[in-house]
Amino acid sequence: MNDSTPPKTNNALRTLLIIVVITIVLAIYSYGWTVTDINLDKPQEAQRQQNLGEALRDLLSPNIFQQDYTFQAATLPFVMTCPAEGAPAAVSAPADAAPYILISATCGVANDVVTVQGFNFHPETFARIEWIPDGGEARVRQPIGRGEDNFFTDALGRFEVQIEVPQIRGSSGQTHIIQARVAVPAGLPHFSNTTGVVLEKMVETIFLALIATTLSILPSAILSFFAAHNLMKPIRMTLGNLLVSFALLPVGWLLGSALLSPIGTFALNLGQGTLFGAGSTALALGFAMVAAVRKPRVVETTGWEARLRSVLLAVLVAIIVTAVVGLLGGLGLSGDMFFHNLGSTLRPQTAEGPAVAANFGQWLVYALGDVLTSFGNMIGTLGQLLQLLMLPIAGVIGAVTLSSIGTTLTLDALKHVDRVTSHMLGGTLGAICGAILLGITASIGMQAAWLGLLTPLVAAGLGGGVFSLAYQRLTGSKQRKIPGESTSQRLSSWVGIALVFLATFVLLNVERAVVEGVLPTQTELLNLFGMPIYFYVAEAMLIGAVLGGVAGALAGTRAAFPFGDMLYTTTRTILNGLRSIEPLIMGLVFVIWVGIGPFAGVLALTLHSIASLGKLYSEQIESIDSGPIEALQSTGANQLQTIMYAVVPQIIPPYIAFTMYRWDINVRMSTIIGFVGGGGVGFLLQQQINLLRYREAGVAVLAIAIVVSILDYASASIRQRYI
Amino acid sequence: MLIIENLTKIYDNGFKALDNISLEIPDGQFVAIIGLSGSGKSTLLRCINRLIDPTEGRIIWNDIDITAATDDELRQIRRRIGMIFQQFNLVKRSSVITNVLSGRLGYVNPVFSLFNYFPGKEKERALAALDRVGIREKAYNRASALSGGQQQRVGIARTLMQEPELMLADEPVASLDPATSHSVMKYLQLLNEEDGLTILCSLHFLSLARAYSHRVIALKDGKLEFDGPAQAIDDERFKMIYGEEAVQVEIH
Ligand SMILES: Nc1ncnc2c1ncn2[C@@H]1O[C@H](COP(=O)(O)OP(=O)(O)OP(=O)(O)O)[C@@H](O)[C@H]1O
Ligand SMILES: [Mg+2]
Repeated sequence: MNDSTPPKTNNALRTLLIIVVITIVLAIYSYGWTVTDINLDKPQEAQRQQNLGEALRDLLSPNIFQQDYTFQAATLPFVMTCPAEGAPAAVSAPADAAPYILISATCGVANDVVTVQGFNFHPETFARIEWIPDGGEARVRQPIGRGEDNFFTDALGRFEVQIEVPQIRGSSGQTHIIQARVAVPAGLPHFSNTTGVVLEKMVETIFLALIATTLSILPSAILSFFAAHNLMKPIRMTLGNLLVSFALLPVGWLLGSALLSPIGTFALNLGQGTLFGAGSTALALGFAMVAAVRKPRVVETTGWEARLRSVLLAVLVAIIVTAVVGLLGGLGLSGDMFFHNLGSTLRPQTAEGPAVAANFGQWLVYALGDVLTSFGNMIGTLGQLLQLLMLPIAGVIGAVTLSSIGTTLTLDALKHVDRVTSHMLGGTLGAICGAILLGITASIGMQAAWLGLLTPLVAAGLGGGVFSLAYQRLTGSKQRKIPGESTSQRLSSWVGIALVFLATFVLLNVERAVVEGVLPTQTELLNLFGMPIYFYVAEAMLIGAVLGGVAGALAGTRAAFPFGDMLYTTTRTILNGLRSIEPLIMGLVFVIWVGIGPFAGVLALTLHSIASLGKLYSEQIESIDSGPIEALQSTGANQLQTIMYAVVPQIIPPYIAFTMYRWDINVRMSTIIGFVGGGGVGFLLQQQINLLRYREAGVAVLAIAIVVSILDYASASIRQRYI
Repeated sequence: MLIIENLTKIYDNGFKALDNISLEIPDGQFVAIIGLSGSGKSTLLRCINRLIDPTEGRIIWNDIDITAATDDELRQIRRRIGMIFQQFNLVKRSSVITNVLSGRLGYVNPVFSLFNYFPGKEKERALAALDRVGIREKAYNRASALSGGQQQRVGIARTLMQEPELMLADEPVASLDPATSHSVMKYLQLLNEEDGLTILCSLHFLSLARAYSHRVIALKDGKLEFDGPAQAIDDERFKMIYGEEAVQVEIH
């Protein structure tokens, strides 16, 4: 670098560059302007301006309040077409103070102008003139020279208006009635029906947001740990351990659903039985669990005996967890009945529905009854959920247990195998795992055409591994002390990714699925105990076996596998994917599943909140002080303890803050989730807008604005306290 | 007896932080580790309890090969090795007593400990440990409300809960003023003399090493530069360890 002035060409180049950049920016914005259809002609059309004015006026005149009226009426006869013998005599004013009207003519033909005068009516309220044909329906006559049907009485309760005699065919000779109707306010103004409905829907909206937020806390808190890089990165496993535990997952699933689910169902029935039985079972299980967890800590050996004990412990824990889940489900189901009965005893049902309270004390009792009934509903649904999920829960518990047992038992053995065995074992296990993995993705791919892309993508990942491992072998750089990939190695892995993707794409005929939306054919290859194995899946499994086998054989069981990194990447990908789907779209799908109503909204918002909170939470974990984690690890605390004592205290305040923030967002979102049928005030708002009832819509808009700004303020001040 | 054989550590980025270190440290010795910043002191200490996995070499402590231990075994070993840090590494939002109790996690029932339950006798042990470092009255304060010296004493109390036989101290006084430094060092000395703990303590000041240690180990660029009593470090040796430009600073 020299310090002399830069050469001229450089300057000219820079100017040119700036001009080019400015041109491009201009082009982008002008195109954007056109695409978004910004134009000032339409807004100037008189009709549109008038429409806007009316809509805005209505929106800004929400009919929150309502006044009830009774009507004063006074009538006089009117003969159509004056008879030859002369007009009927006019009626003169009565002597008493009753409201009455006078008309300027007692007979006439269509389009004659008649002056109507009113006296002794209610002062300063609105009135209208009605024409009642002989044996016909009353019709409103608009006073001449006024834009409206309604007009007002003066301070003395008088009015004078002119109307035209209507054209009614074949009415000649009939006697019609002219009627003045004056509205008299009855009682004080009160909240309108619209307000009532909006308030009801607003409560629904707030609870929708509350439930969705609450339901999302636990899943997103758990996910956030897997999405935090600083916690996940240090977790490594040898490839052998990973393969063993992965290969055991499906076996564990089958065993779990075959052996554990009967236990769960048994416990469910127990729990559903008498409360006494359930309570005592829970107690007994609790003791068993405490005893089970307590014992092995005393023994400190790590030999075979200890390993056997930990296997037994794992099985015991699996059984206990399944049983407790079943018990809880059963308790929920029986609790439903119990609380329902209790609730309806407190608040008896009458023929017209729930009893109405006569005094405050009774109201309290009734309210308690209602609360108990709702509580029963809640735990009943939760119990039902556990009952429905018993089989998958048992499967998951079985899978996790068996794979952790597998790890425990093979940990030592895998460590001490020699190199040749390690590669052979790696090949075998790798083939099994690859087959399982691609079998799963292919089964998913059979569900929808574009999901078929999943298999080539996962296969490509494996292929990348195979190629970069092969490259290491060939160049002999496998024993490098310095990890971190070289450029050529990365290149080789990209080549592998591309090649294997293409190969799998072609082999599995994914192109047909992508282009024409055709699902893979369901040709059965063989039938395993009533479980069909499709040709397509088998093909994918074969590809997986080959790729996995080669990768495993090349790497060997002793290779370190960045298990934590993988978990991190997978969790992050799923969270980001979920987050990019708008809750409104999720709402659309859930409406199909669970029907129109707030439940669909709850599900949509919960799912979106899980993704969004999971990310926010995990970022908080990533920014904690790592010192305490190190300190606790150095004391010999296990991983769960380290998280509880070093991580959790640091993240609780931001978690609270972000949860509040999310509730805030959810309230906003739940106000519009109703647009797609997800319940809450949005549904009402949409209906009213479609019916052009802007005054009613105005009430909903106002309610939303008030609630959102209150929550905004509340959440901001709570957040401030915690950050 | 702690035996370190041919210990080498190469970080992920390829940097060789420790180069073939071999040492034998008998029980009950107070060893100071000195050296320039970046010479590998922290790396050495962290390799001993495997907060960092060494690349090569073995560490054998009381006939157990730490470098070959499985995760379970490692936790058993770590329970007996206390460690204190320059930044104290307390959980600032938790109370002092919770911080101290967390040193006992390797011993207590893992399930109950997750719900922050500790038996009464463990709480007494924690209070006794705080008593020993002279801050029992701060037990229910938040850790963040304590001064640096007090926080380091909480750190020592936390390791006392482990009933350690070996204490690793990574620049325990580097962020404290001279007077407080001495008081913290005195507690370490006390543990060494009263409880017979083996202490490995990295220090920045030779004068502190002289005042408290039986033996000084000097590292330079990851290599063992000096191993012997503090008195044997004369001006020439000092310049070899710290470089030509260095002058000795006293800390009183
Ligand atoms: N995680 C890491 N990755 C890469 N290099 C590292 C890492 N940790 C430390 N190093 C490097 O290793 C060398 C030794 O670091 P170490 O922390 O052991 O030094 P130290 O003697 O404790 O220094 P100080 O007195 O500043 O604490 C330094 O050059 C440092 O840059
Ligand atoms: Mg250091």
